[in-house]
Amino acid sequence: MSVITIDNLKKEYSSRNFSAKKILALDGVSFEIGEGEIFGLLGPNGAGKTTLIKVLLGITFPTSGSGKLFDKDLNDVKTKTRIGYLPENHSFPNYFTGEQVLHHFGKLSGMSSEDVKLKSAEYLNIVGMKEWAKVKIRKYSKGMMQRIGLAQAMINNPDLIFLDEPTDGVDPIGRKEIRDVLLNLKSQGKTIFLNSHLLSETELICDRVAILNKGKLIKEGRVEDITSTDSYAFITSGLTDEVYNSLMNNYKAVIQSRNNFLIPANNLEEVNTIIDFLRSKNIMIQSVSKEKITLESKFINLIEHKL
Amino acid sequence: MELITFISGIIREALAKKIILSIFLFFSLIILFIVFAATNDSVAGMLTFLEASGGNADYRSAVIFFESNITSKIPMFMMIAFYLIIVSSFIPSMLQKGHIDLLLSKPISRTKIVLGHLLAGTAFAFLSSLFLLGTIWIIVSVKTGIWHVPFLYSIVWFTFIFLTLYSFVILIGLLTKNTILNILINLILFFPFSWIFYLLNEVTKKGEQFFSFNAVTEFIIKFFYYILPKPWDLADLCENSIKGESLGSVQPIITSLLFIGIMVSLSIWYFNKKDY
Ligand SMILES: Nc1ncnc2c1ncn2[C@@H]1O[C@H](COP(=O)(O)OP(=O)(O)OP(=O)(O)O)[C@@H](O)[C@H]1O
Ligand SMILES: [Mg+2]
Repeated sequence: MSVITIDNLKKEYSSRNFSAKKILALDGVSFEIGEGEIFGLLGPNGAGKTTLIKVLLGITFPTSGSGKLFDKDLNDVKTKTRIGYLPENHSFPNYFTGEQVLHHFGKLSGMSSEDVKLKSAEYLNIVGMKEWAKVKIRKYSKGMMQRIGLAQAMINNPDLIFLDEPTDGVDPIGRKEIRDVLLNLKSQGKTIFLNSHLLSETELICDRVAILNKGKLIKEGRVEDITSTDSYAFITSGLTDEVYNSLMNNYKAVIQSRNNFLIPANNLEEVNTIIDFLRSKNIMIQSVSKEKITLESKFINLIEHKL
Repeated sequence: MELITFISGIIREALAKKIILSIFLFFSLIILFIVFAATNDSVAGMLTFLEASGGNADYRSAVIFFESNITSKIPMFMMIAFYLIIVSSFIPSMLQKGHIDLLLSKPISRTKIVLGHLLAGTAFAFLSSLFLLGTIWIIVSVKTGIWHVPFLYSIVWFTFIFLTLYSFVILIGLLTKNTILNILINLILFFPFSWIFYLLNEVTKKGEQFFSFNAVTEFIIKFFYYILPKPWDLADLCENSIKGESLGSVQPIITSLLFIGIMVSLSIWYFNKKDY
């Protein structure tokens, strides 16, 4: 059964100043997400990721197109008892303690008082905030806020969880813990919709990813399929600006540092053409090695070269 | 269930911002003042005043006169303005980025959110008035020995006056998302705006003998008078009901109810279609 279905979703914002120019935040997005999937939505800043989540949750209304959650209309209020949400840059009322945040939003999600008491202790523990439960959240650090936010998103035992940059501001150990929490949720059959910039992380936990750029879905599929093309890592010395630009523009290179770049290529012929090109420009090649392309370099490739 | 949680959230906000505490302290000061003001001397003063102005006055009517002064227009204005200043921040604070998104993702409809604000505000005004006016009533009654129950109607009248203006606070809060602007617009509407049209309307009612507007001016006055909230007319009705006189025209009640209905409907309609 598909948990999220969207069909040709468009969202147009009128720009803030008085010019008639419109911002097309979503430009005909369609996809489906099945039960128990961890789905990662990637894209550069301003791509429309947050907008997409807001449309799905009925916080913002689409200009055209349609969507369904659990086969119900997006504006269906009842469905929301089955949903958890961690907004980007959330700000809970700062006079609450961590525990009160969970109580308040848990009850707003339709939980009973007893349930909420029981579960809040459990989830505070899961996100490692037990000692901070009775402290006012205005005294929390950014990462702590994020952890409380995550606990808040899980407390009502939702079947579908939307997380907008959940690891934003969290330290590496915390990020690992959050990954484990998410994998654990997945093992319970929950569906997770994740917005993230951290591609290496997304790669570790997502079953499927979609890449959004300027409101358009430019790629969508299983992580393995997207990263299946090989790439060759070159280490050179004495790269000139001219060669540098030509590598970027003609060979779709992903520059990692000045003399270190990746070229996506599926056969040796292509690789050797590049070697010939570099040699013809008198560039010294230190090493060439075949590598599995990472989601990150694929992402940069897609955004920069529209591959 | 979610509605109750939502309303309790607003109350908690008021508690956390020390709003409830400051109201309690402020009102206690007023009550303290009344404790000293409501002496037999001041009632006797009222009595002489009433006699001097040619009424056949007795002690009881002097007490009632004293009580009706406590809830007359100026104290009413101060109290309701005070309430309005306090509740003006509720909607803008709910609309903060990062909070409204989360709230709207919860299983509570947007219509219920608006109604929740309406209920919370009304309960707040009712309970505050109950505390202030109720305590004053007890003090005056104990001191004078005259237990004039109709004074307590003022609690309901004040709540109703508050509600008419509050419905506009909700709408302006949603439109502007700004507490200061919300306070300014609403206080200006309260005084002098609705007051000027109240006075002008009084003139058109009594006018004919000594003054009259031409037809166009009168139409304009009536037009604004009818569409604006009518706290001052309602204050008159409040006074009448305390004095045990006949209410007079119920038009202000009906038009105020209509005003509330329209403001709340507009708020619900606007909130339901707005992107956050
Ligand atoms: N309320 C709004 N009014 C007008 N334009 C908006 C509004 N919200 C978002 N936008 C515009 O819509 C586009 C998409 O924004 P969105 O927040 O969805 O991007 P995002 O992919 O989440 O970016 P980020 O990675 O920075 O979080 C941007 O161009 C943004 O300026
Ligand atoms: Mg975003």
